[in-house]
Amino acid sequence: MEQQMTQAEARNNPQTKVMHIAPLFRGVIWATIGFVVLDLLTVAVDPFRGHPLVTEPSEVMGWAGAVVGWLMGVGGYEEMILPLFGSPSTWVEPKDWRKYFGLSTNHKVIGIQYLFTSSSIFFVGGMIAMAMRYELMQPSMHFFTYAGQYLTAVGIHGSLMMFGVGTVVLISGLGNYFVPLMIGAKETVFSRLSGLGHWLLPAGALTLIASPLLGYWDTGWRGYEPLASQDPGGIVFYYLGVFAMTLSTILASLNLAATIIFHRAKGMTWARLPLFVWGILTVSLLNLIWQPEIEMTFVMALLDKLIPFHFFDAMGSPLTYLSMFWLFGHPEVYIIVLPAFALWNEIIPVMAQKNLFARDWAIIGLIFVMMLSGLVWAHHIFTNMRNSEMFPFSFFSEMISIPTGFSFMAAIGTLWRARLRLTTPTLLVLMSLFNFTIGGLTGVYLADPPINLQVHDTFFVIAHFHYTIIGGMVFTWMAAMYYWLPKMSGRMFNETWGKWLALWVFIGFNGTFGQMFLLGLDGMNRWVPVYPPYLKPLNYSVSLFAFFLGAGFIATAIHILWAWTKGPKSPENPWHARTLEWLTTSPPPDDNFDGEVEVVRGFYRYDHDEPSAYLVKSPDPVE
Amino acid sequence: MGNIVVFGVVWAVLTALAEWVFRANRAHSFYYTISNQGSLALSAFNFLSSWLMPIFIFIVLITVFSLVRFRAPDNEPKPSLVQAMRNRWYIFIWVGASFALNIMFWLHPTAVDLEAMFTNWRQEKAQHPLIVNVTARQWEWMFNYPQYGITQAVNAEGLDEMELPVNRPVEFFLRSYDPFHTYDVYAGVIHSFWIPAFGIKEDVIPGETRSLFLIPNHVANFHTNPLVRVQCAEVCGPGHPYMESPVSVVTAPQFARWIAYQKKLQAAAGGA
Repeated sequence: MEQQMTQAEARNNPQTKVMHIAPLFRGVIWATIGFVVLDLLTVAVDPFRGHPLVTEPSEVMGWAGAVVGWLMGVGGYEEMILPLFGSPSTWVEPKDWRKYFGLSTNHKVIGIQYLFTSSSIFFVGGMIAMAMRYELMQPSMHFFTYAGQYLTAVGIHGSLMMFGVGTVVLISGLGNYFVPLMIGAKETVFSRLSGLGHWLLPAGALTLIASPLLGYWDTGWRGYEPLASQDPGGIVFYYLGVFAMTLSTILASLNLAATIIFHRAKGMTWARLPLFVWGILTVSLLNLIWQPEIEMTFVMALLDKLIPFHFFDAMGSPLTYLSMFWLFGHPEVYIIVLPAFALWNEIIPVMAQKNLFARDWAIIGLIFVMMLSGLVWAHHIFTNMRNSEMFPFSFFSEMISIPTGFSFMAAIGTLWRARLRLTTPTLLVLMSLFNFTIGGLTGVYLADPPINLQVHDTFFVIAHFHYTIIGGMVFTWMAAMYYWLPKMSGRMFNETWGKWLALWVFIGFNGTFGQMFLLGLDGMNRWVPVYPPYLKPLNYSVSLFAFFLGAGFIATAIHILWAWTKGPKSPENPWHARTLEWLTTSPPPDDNFDGEVEVVRGFYRYDHDEPSAYLVKSPDPVE
Repeated sequence: MGNIVVFGVVWAVLTALAEWVFRANRAHSFYYTISNQGSLALSAFNFLSSWLMPIFIFIVLITVFSLVRFRAPDNEPKPSLVQAMRNRWYIFIWVGASFALNIMFWLHPTAVDLEAMFTNWRQEKAQHPLIVNVTARQWEWMFNYPQYGITQAVNAEGLDEMELPVNRPVEFFLRSYDPFHTYDVYAGVIHSFWIPAFGIKEDVIPGETRSLFLIPNHVANFHTNPLVRVQCAEVCGPGHPYMESPVSVVTAPQFARWIAYQKKLQAAAGGA
């Protein structure tokens, strides 16, 4: 209580109010009020015969009211609205576990909120995948009751995983937690905005999960037109849910990019910036360019649905939607995987205690992937192109493998003749290298138009992108969770369990998606709950591996949660790493460093014992 | 130096083994391919596989090699003995090889095959191909043979089917609209016309008429191989998984008999 008072006073607040109601609970109540008020208002203004209370326009307006109510309820009212109108903020951030259940301005709390929310979304999306695989064990409908229901499951799975996990865990989650620590910052630039941004993520995910209530939509995560404009109201919640989740990512990226540019510690020059920070900076720029692009596309599609316009049907141009979607959609996969590339070269030198090989090439690779990623989108629509258009897009799609390879080059150069400690993070990074190689090399086939025209829209493509996203990103996410667990919790995991669980997930993953390449080549197309019976044996086998994989993810999550709360105490710098996050205590104090950080040399040299940075302790803080 | 020699030998042996196994099976990389277009895609697939195999084995071997030969005996944080940050030859070869390979892949198979594909199309266009009008609606494929006056080819049960004579060029005209919904002819969605055994698909876009050429080069049908079917490959609504039709590739006399049969069916149904 004493602490809370001092914090509040620091903001020149005359009367501190202690909240008597949990912010989440208040958020739900205000969201409900917001929905009901705006929904009824819209229905009153724009009545629709037969559907007296919820129409498509009213659900949009009601949703907007609900999101505003939710954001205000979890703390936005005190932290954003009151200061906006000249009153001091009365928001008090609790010091105990309650701080995770309300708006926070501390980037480490926000990072953990993102990790938790995103992991929950990963669980829901994964369970939907299990249901899909159960359905596909038989060639006929036996689990889902209607093909549209299955397609809705596919769409929710894809959208949750892409917008709620893929673009989130490494950027808004680990990025929020570690980027400020790694550049020696004590706080981020737009802390309140970033804190508010997190709460858009559960709002968006719940919107998507609730979408079947308004009718089964069947477009998958891409929302292709003109099919989407025929769909029932569920598709509206797809647009709105994705809108909220991408907005959350935009706010996180804006905050992280600004923090990297403006809040670096003394001596943290661009040439010394850690690899992971470079990764987050490049994807933040990608996010700031492309996420608004997809949001505008979805606004157009939503208006097309509600009004209706005819932007994207036979009277307009269906192909315009396809291009607008993939203009964002291809950078999206690099948004997902670039931080993973960066993390490989963050973790390998530490585990090998070896100088990072060709650091400049690794960074140039990240930057060139970022720049090229906007030039390749149309390889997703080779089946729609003029002959003359295939040529340049095929060129860029093949060339992007060159800068991608630079991350491999640096990683392999570092591994060569190292004294590599075989820890769980090492193992998972090596597995990630293996998996992404398969994902990347199968991409070379897909970049070749004649091959693409055969395997496009088949399970070959499904296997390819799961290899890049799960194989590349999720394996690296697990590696990073183990690597930074001692920093986030002060505790250590069990090495034996960690390695066995990694092997478990690795076998499940490769069994599931490796066989999908064969399914695709054997004529299994996408988005089908029902398929020709000759494909059953292979599908059955894929499903068994998929269940094994799902169980492996759950077991890994249990292990990490156990280590986080009950694991043995970890030493301060268990890996003997040199980056700045290890300069402070574990877990770090509220303002990260107990003093001023001064960086004196780069972080990737292990051929000397000189410290990379000094922490100049401040005298006892004046309260 | 020792590591490089061991690595190089193991890499070469594994690559040779993998290429040998692959060569024995590469005719079936696409399981079943019976058109000139499909052969083009198959040979590109096999060419890339042969060249990507050494790269794949290189990376896999590096991960295994690191686990076996470069593994520390314990988890003590001791610095590696070798601390190289630069190796001019390694970087030069890596960057040079990745540029060279990618440019090669772009020239061959991509540029060569695209050129071959569109030259084929031009030649097939000049050879007075069999024309099949394909209409995609939600959710049905309909086949119309204008040169023979067949408005909608069906089997005895009235289900759509497509029959093609072997070794004769075919031009498909692809349209997406619903001829039964004359009150809203713009209500079509995107479908994708795919015959897995022919090795090509093309999206069917409402408001556009597109064409596609190929020559089926083997007698086969849905019963001899399930890949000989028309399958919608682009999600088009809840009926999407059911949007398939059997295909038969037959000899010229069989095709003539089938056309006569279609005419009889059409006359019996009182059609044009």
